[in-house]
Amino acid sequence: MIAAVDALAAPSPGLIKAWLLVPFAAAFVAVLMPSLARGLVLVSSLITGLVGIGQLLGGSPLELDLLGALGVSLRLDGMAGWFLLLNGLLVSAVVLEGWMRPPVPLRSMLLLVLQGGLTVSCVATDLVSLYVTLELVGIAAFLLIVLPQSDNTLWIGLRYLLLSNTAMGLYLIGAALVYVQQDSFRMAALAGLPFGAPQVFLLIGLFSKAGLFLGGLWLPRTHAEAPPEISALLSGVVVTGGAVPLLRLAEVDQALLSPIRWVGMASAVLGVVYALSDGDAKRLLAWSTLSQMGLVVLSPLSGGAMALAHGLAKGALFLSARQFTTRQLHSWAASALSPLALGVLWIASLSIAGLPPFAGYAAKKQLDSVLPEPWGLMVLLVSVGTVAVYARLWSVGLQVKPPAPGALPVAWCQWLAFGLLLVPLVLGAEALAPTWKPGIGLITTALVLAAGLLLQRWLRPGQPLPVLERLDQLLGGVVVLGAGLLAGFAGGL
Amino acid sequence: MSAIRLLELLILVSALAGFLGLLLRRNLFLKVLAMDVMGTAVVALFVLFAARSGLRSPILRELPAAAALADPIPQGVILTAIVIGLSIQALLLVVMTQLARLDPSLDVESFDGGSAG
Repeated sequence: MIAAVDALAAPSPGLIKAWLLVPFAAAFVAVLMPSLARGLVLVSSLITGLVGIGQLLGGSPLELDLLGALGVSLRLDGMAGWFLLLNGLLVSAVVLEGWMRPPVPLRSMLLLVLQGGLTVSCVATDLVSLYVTLELVGIAAFLLIVLPQSDNTLWIGLRYLLLSNTAMGLYLIGAALVYVQQDSFRMAALAGLPFGAPQVFLLIGLFSKAGLFLGGLWLPRTHAEAPPEISALLSGVVVTGGAVPLLRLAEVDQALLSPIRWVGMASAVLGVVYALSDGDAKRLLAWSTLSQMGLVVLSPLSGGAMALAHGLAKGALFLSARQFTTRQLHSWAASALSPLALGVLWIASLSIAGLPPFAGYAAKKQLDSVLPEPWGLMVLLVSVGTVAVYARLWSVGLQVKPPAPGALPVAWCQWLAFGLLLVPLVLGAEALAPTWKPGIGLITTALVLAAGLLLQRWLRPGQPLPVLERLDQLLGGVVVLGAGLLAGFAGGL
Repeated sequence: MSAIRLLELLILVSALAGFLGLLLRRNLFLKVLAMDVMGTAVVALFVLFAARSGLRSPILRELPAAAALADPIPQGVILTAIVIGLSIQALLLVVMTQLARLDPSLDVESFDGGSAG
């Protein structure tokens, strides 16, 4: 037992290599022995989550160079810890939630591959390993989307893979340009490079992957139309595959922080505006993901906590979307939810809206404390918008739907699944912000809440906003963003 | 203009041509082919960058002392990308055969327009 704790706190290189292989080996076994498959996902998630906790509790960071100086370079540190914990919790919750339903063939195998890919993308610090693992994540996510084989998911999946591969092609051009100038594919090689075409190509690839401004506008429709448990994964962890490298790049090269912040803020605002005007509950959640991912990339110091708080809450909301009686928001206030779905809705949405005592509140306070002044104010305005967005869902009140005659009681595995996601949200605030004191922060939060509620009252459905999600618009958006970044930042803004 | 500059230009033009095809073609099949043109241009870019230092493949056998060798790193790296590109192309084509049941002409509009609101 003590040896195991030691191994988590100060992992040896051999153990790390073995750990990175676990999900892929488990995926192989899962295909050969389908009866073990879901158990294997749980075991792999447990290991991933434990390694994440080990790093968060102050485990020693580890750098690893495989195959020499030009080979694969990995870094396991506190930053990766947040995302590993999120990955472990969310994937196991998805498996547990569906435990009582007949298994979808091959889904467990794909979950394991997805988990393995995301794990590597959290720790990879060279551009080529990152490319390979992000493509792997893209393929696994695509297959998870299309597995139900309805006509609509086929198109949504195809669109996702087409865009993701195009974005990664541009990313690869960026990687080649970096190599020509620095003779290295490491992220650290970017540090000495003046901002120009190489960085722009890398960034637009990663922005698309992380579901950020313009390149990432594939997100709302994809997340809204995929099956609920896959939406939970997409919104909770798949987008973090693109966000971690952005945070790492911002850490390595200060010059990249400014364009990443502007794009993050643009997504945060755009997401809130569209979430306020959309009439569909799942699309509202998806737009809110776009907005929250924008907040995640604002600072490498708070990105992990924001992503964890958001991923757990959004994952729980999407998982409970199966129990929504209606997705139409105009009849939302008259609908009623089962007690479980109602609890999930309130806890998770209060946390994303940044209200105490939930983890989202602590994460937002941490973000506030690390941002320079004008940014802090903008985040505050986005928070008002976020409160207004979720106030639209709060209109359901506390009406509990009476259980249908003959309905089964909620199974233990469902309690466990939502418990895994919500308990950290309720208890996590203390761990996230140990120095937090009540006072001025609480007053700001109360004002934000009041302003948000007023905004939601005052808004009336008006002109529909332009649709930005057609395939040609998405591809065009990538070009516009790239040109904008070059013009705006290469001059040394 | 040196040969390497000219090749660089040609590769960038083909990448751009691929991207424009992806953007402007209405037929889904042609879109995916255009994506492959772009992918091939990226592969060519890596191969060209590998040839900056020389053209000979750096395979260890008795080499003349002053042989100008190609850089093996970009060449090795791009192999992975070629395999990934191939598998993605295959997956997209499989999905497309399914979508062709809905609209045999594979016009993007018929999929994108339907429930985009």
